Amino acid sequence: MSEATTAKHPRSFLERHHHLLRRLHSLTGIVPIGVFLISHLLTNGSVVWGLLDSRKAEYGHAGVATFQHEVDFIHSIPFLFFIELSLWGAIAFHSILGFYYAKTGITNTGSYSFGGNWRYRLQRITGYIGILFIVYHVGTLRWNWTFLTPGGTAWSAEFAGSTMAQILRGSPSELTVAGVAVTAGYLLGVTSLVFHFANGLWTAAITWGLTISQAAQRRWGYACAGLGAGLMVMGWAAVIGFATLDPAEAKATEQKFRLKEQREAEKIGEVIDRERNRVSAIDAPR
Amino acid sequence: MSTATKLDPAAAQRAANRKSAKAGRTVIFRVKRCEGPGKPSRWEEFKVPVPPGANVISCLQHIAANPVTTQGARTTPVVWDSGCLEEVCGACTMVINGRVRQSCSALIDDYAPQEGDVMVLEPMSKFPVVRDLWVDRSRLFHNLQRVKAWVPIDGTYDLGSGPIESPASQGTRYKLSECMSCGCCLEACPQFNLEEDKAAWDTSFIGAHAISQARLFNEHATGAILKDERLDALMGQGGINDCGNAQNCVKVCPKHIPLTESIAAMGRAVTIHGIKKFFRGE
Ligand code: HEM
Ligand code: SF4
Ligand code: SF4
Ligand code: FES
Repeated sequence: MSEATTAKHPRSFLERHHHLLRRLHSLTGIVPIGVFLISHLLTNGSVVWGLLDSRKAEYGHAGVATFQHEVDFIHSIPFLFFIELSLWGAIAFHSILGFYYAKTGITNTGSYSFGGNWRYRLQRITGYIGILFIVYHVGTLRWNWTFLTPGGTAWSAEFAGSTMAQILRGSPSELTVAGVAVTAGYLLGVTSLVFHFANGLWTAAITWGLTISQAAQRRWGYACAGLGAGLMVMGWAAVIGFATLDPAEAKATEQKFRLKEQREAEKIGEVIDRERNRVSAIDAPR
Repeated sequence: MSTATKLDPAAAQRAANRKSAKAGRTVIFRVKRCEGPGKPSRWEEFKVPVPPGANVISCLQHIAANPVTTQGARTTPVVWDSGCLEEVCGACTMVINGRVRQSCSALIDDYAPQEGDVMVLEPMSKFPVVRDLWVDRSRLFHNLQRVKAWVPIDGTYDLGSGPIESPASQGTRYKLSECMSCGCCLEACPQFNLEEDKAAWDTSFIGAHAISQARLFNEHATGAILKDERLDALMGQGGINDCGNAQNCVKVCPKHIPLTESIAAMGRAVTIHGIKKFFRGE
């Protein structure tokens, strides 16, 4: 072997675990981050697909009611904090390494303007846009960075749709310039992340060696493009759906939904109490 | 490759140019020059009368015989590397009008069909320049050593006849064996970049050619003896995991070697190898 090969130098942590870290980077992009992205866009798209649920129409806006129902469900998941924590860990891991890996390449789409080369470049650009968007999105909606929302609107899980609409529109009533900017930012963020995930799913199949022949790579490419298109529709539907809501009407729906839910919960509680009393009456020693 | 021509607008443009090429024209050659390693580079232009069928090397020969720039200044002859002159040795690879390829097979008619058209010649950017258009491709060969791209048959006694190879395996390997170590796949790769520090060669990206050659020799019944060592080398920093799947390599390979299939096939081999190592506790 040549001298360069035998030359000894201390191997860094990244170097010693290169393969494992690379593959974990690929894996975390799909599970949990990608899987979460799918479920998250499906949830948020419910403001539009929820309109199909005619049973929800009695509350006012069926989409808003369905979305509230979804949000309530998520908040009822036990150990939600730990799920969030592992998701955050994965996103931090993937994006820090992603940054570091992106730095190892020098894009050359100017000379080699092939589709694949553009996707390579976009994979990196959308990663950068994606993490900026994620931090803004979670910061403003989850950690209450209201200084970054128009008019200082805080998102509320109880009034999920109406507060979201207010943030995207920039005010409780009409669409403002700030609102247009936030909405455009959301569209860019969602578009970036969906592209990044769909294209990443395509390259991951090469990384792991699932698709080998060019025909297989092409077929998997169509599948990823199909998934990407579906997610894109969901994501855009969600953003545009919220941005075109009337926050006041949405709030009325949410209040009605909450009241009805409470009343139903109370009714169930009454039934349970009645049954319990009946049972204890039977069991009581005569 | 009819499909490649159909899909690549540059190839279609070259074919159209060839049809419309004017006889007896003069073409301007803009050449990126450099007097030696570490020296600054500069541009010089030369007027070259092109006979029918001329290629870049025959025009460089004209410049070497008449080293006078378009301004009439006498200069040193432009230096380039070449060997076979029939696109099988890879030595003459350079960047022509922004794209890497062999200069011996680059016909002027394809690129500069009209009087006064300009051809731009640059050395490959991913290897250190020796002089002008001549680069030092040592790292390319070093990277073949990293994956032990050979069949180990050296011995002090007769090893007997080799194992029987199936025609299917021969078919796969024949295509891979056509690699001429030209460096096109490396020049076009966004993950393979100039590295002049030899100490860093073993940890910087190995390149599509070496990944494909590792596949070639792992598929070879005798070459497979070194399989695990090749996979170990591919698993490390600068190995196959550093490929970013831009797939430029396969687009520019003059031998149409299915490099991206090799990358995926070795990706699979490394996946399995990594899992085995994990459970063996290595
Ligand atoms: C919702 C967020 C994200 C998802 C769903 C996601 C998903 C993925 C997937 C599935 C891959 C493919 C891995 C492979 O080819 O093996 C990938 C690659 C990549 N991701 Fe992400 N990612 C996300 C966020 C980010 C962020 C924030 C960055 C930060 C810059 C980033 C940077 C990268 C880079 C550079 C690659 C290419 C790695 C390579 O080819 O070696 N990603 N991502
Ligand atoms: S597929 Fe990999 S080796 Fe080929 S050009 Fe892209 S990054 Fe380079
Ligand atoms: S794989 Fe193709 S482009 Fe790369 S060195 Fe071999 S022949 Fe040249
Ligand atoms: S001189 Fe051998 S490939 Fe051009």
